Amino acid sequence: MKIDTLFIDKAIPRNFETDYLISRLKTDPQWVEDSKAVYDFINDADDPVSKAKKTLYITQNKGAVIRECPGTRFYTCCDYTILHTGTFCTMDCSYCILQAYFHPPVLQYFAGLETLALNLEKMFTQNKIFRIGTGEYTDSLIWEKISPQPKFLVETFASQNNCLLELKTKTVNIDSLLSLDHNGKTVIAWSLNTPDIIRSEEKGTSSLKARLEAARRVESKGYKLAFHFDPLVIYPGCEIQYKKVIKQIFEHVRPENIVWISIGTFRFMPGLKQIIEKRFTDSTICYGEFILGLDNKMRYFKPLRIKLYKQIISCIKEYAPNLAVYFCMEDEEVWEKCMGFFPKNEGQLGHYLDKSAVAHCSLNPHFL
Amino acid sequence: MSDLLCEINVSDIDLTDKRYKISFSEDDITFLAYSIKETGLVFPPVVRPLSNNNFIIVSGFNRVRALIYNNRAYDNETKILVYKTKSDATDYSCLIKSITALAFKRPLTHSELILSTRRLYRFLDKEKIAEKSSAIFNTKLTVRFIGDLLTLSALPDPALALIHSGNLSFNSAKRIASYDKETIKTFLKIFSNIKASNNIQLEIILHMMEITARDAIKPDNFFNHQEIQNILFDKNKDPGLKTKALRTWLFEQRFPTIFKTRQMVRKKITSLKFSHNIKFLPPQNFESQNVSISFTAKNYTEFEASVQCLHAALENKELKEIFNP
Repeated sequence: MKIDTLFIDKAIPRNFETDYLISRLKTDPQWVEDSKAVYDFINDADDPVSKAKKTLYITQNKGAVIRECPGTRFYTCCDYTILHTGTFCTMDCSYCILQAYFHPPVLQYFAGLETLALNLEKMFTQNKIFRIGTGEYTDSLIWEKISPQPKFLVETFASQNNCLLELKTKTVNIDSLLSLDHNGKTVIAWSLNTPDIIRSEEKGTSSLKARLEAARRVESKGYKLAFHFDPLVIYPGCEIQYKKVIKQIFEHVRPENIVWISIGTFRFMPGLKQIIEKRFTDSTICYGEFILGLDNKMRYFKPLRIKLYKQIISCIKEYAPNLAVYFCMEDEEVWEKCMGFFPKNEGQLGHYLDKSAVAHCSLNPHFL
Repeated sequence: MSDLLCEINVSDIDLTDKRYKISFSEDDITFLAYSIKETGLVFPPVVRPLSNNNFIIVSGFNRVRALIYNNRAYDNETKILVYKTKSDATDYSCLIKSITALAFKRPLTHSELILSTRRLYRFLDKEKIAEKSSAIFNTKLTVRFIGDLLTLSALPDPALALIHSGNLSFNSAKRIASYDKETIKTFLKIFSNIKASNNIQLEIILHMMEITARDAIKPDNFFNHQEIQNILFDKNKDPGLKTKALRTWLFEQRFPTIFKTRQMVRKKITSLKFSHNIKFLPPQNFESQNVSISFTAKNYTEFEASVQCLHAALENKELKEIFNP
């Protein structure tokens, strides 16, 4: 999706990063005192969400640059660390929680490579393993073509040995990363779905084939990989389709280069349903058998989740028996029935993934 | 200038012209007729003269009916006392009279508000209606609410009658008004045959629309499903039972696995044959793993009986299946 309006916070200094962004965006910037003008511009639109996807606001991160992933006590969280580099996304997935998460949604790019460096330095000096990702509130690589940030992050992480950087995307924006000296510390991760779901629910994203081809290319440059089946969508014949996707993964890349695969079925805050119905009139994604979960999000009825998970896990294990597969936000019953174990203790799932990170990315094993 | 109090011939009133009739109620006028006979006519009806020397009723449709009833029943009187509007009274002024006469007697129902607004809209825009609402409707109406009323006024028959009877709530009417003509007709047929609360009506609409969207079929085609037809047109079921049956069937179609699981667990719980004072509740939505079992006991004997009942259930394989599905 093309950016047609560019706002830049006046407080941002003109430097290499901002000049780089402005020169590549090819849109005359409007310098603003604060975010009010941006919010007003977006809120004035009939469809603020669509408007926000074409309106970029380059500003500073005024909150925490590094934060813990927000989990809930009812479902097991993987203790992930978020590097907050921006918000929202130019792609238009019907199920995207960011549509309802931000009020209003604003496509923000947080400039300030020095700020990132300062905050990361604090992480790099700790005697602990961290899995750090930028793909929680935005797609990690949407700005790869216009920003020096991905390159900066990959090179910054390359020089330390206790943190893994995960760049999670639905794009194939990898060209600038291929020639970098990443030192094995960056994992490029793709969110995957069936071609049916990509076509019907993931507007503006790359095709499955393109994503897997991109994965093959970064793998050839020594990057480690990860895949996220999240959200899994239940529809007639979905099991066969997801198994085909899994088969395709292993036709493209080697299992030993995959650090982990996460799986999680579609879940959503009740308020998202109205947004989907309004913005994606052909989407039927909300009409599955959902119940209100313990975290007050709508989730597929548990027996349906378990049935799909079992098939997907057994399929992955056929190709890669030792691969770390984990659930994003599932409970004890689901873990036990599908994986045969449950990381009951606090931090246990995180530790399981840290071990995989250490093994694949040459992190210091003494920090485990 | 006030309307003129005068006597006119009953036969000169065109009873078929109901252009100013706002009230939906066709009340039994026996008591009103009796009251008029006993105490006289306190508030004479208002009529508007037409060019052909006939009159049409502006306000007081029931009073005219009651007077005609009395005339026929008791005294064969051919004249009735009315207020006659001026001959140059406009359609707009007569409409305002008809609405205010009712609105300042009692709050208008939703159907009456819809009908009044539709007629007023011929003379005033939404903003003007809102501005004058307290003078016309005896209550302040917002522009948005007037917009809703106008939207609902475009619904086909028998929507207004269903709203008036409570078969179609205001919220449900608003919901269906956003659909295409055939879908609206489908829901009007459904709500003509059942009687449900506002929440259940909304649930029925929601489930119908979600099932048809999911299965890519048109709601009017779905309506022709044999099961829906059997439920709605079963002469042996009253509207309440039809509602219950339709709601259950729609839930089953919308959530087949949840429905089946609930049924199965319910059957297993029944097979445990717990006494009535033992409450056995499966996990809510089957999401948590917590089954709730509770009982009350007035004395030791009751306590012992319940414990024994629970103990006996340990041998029942159905109990194990509830915990380990």
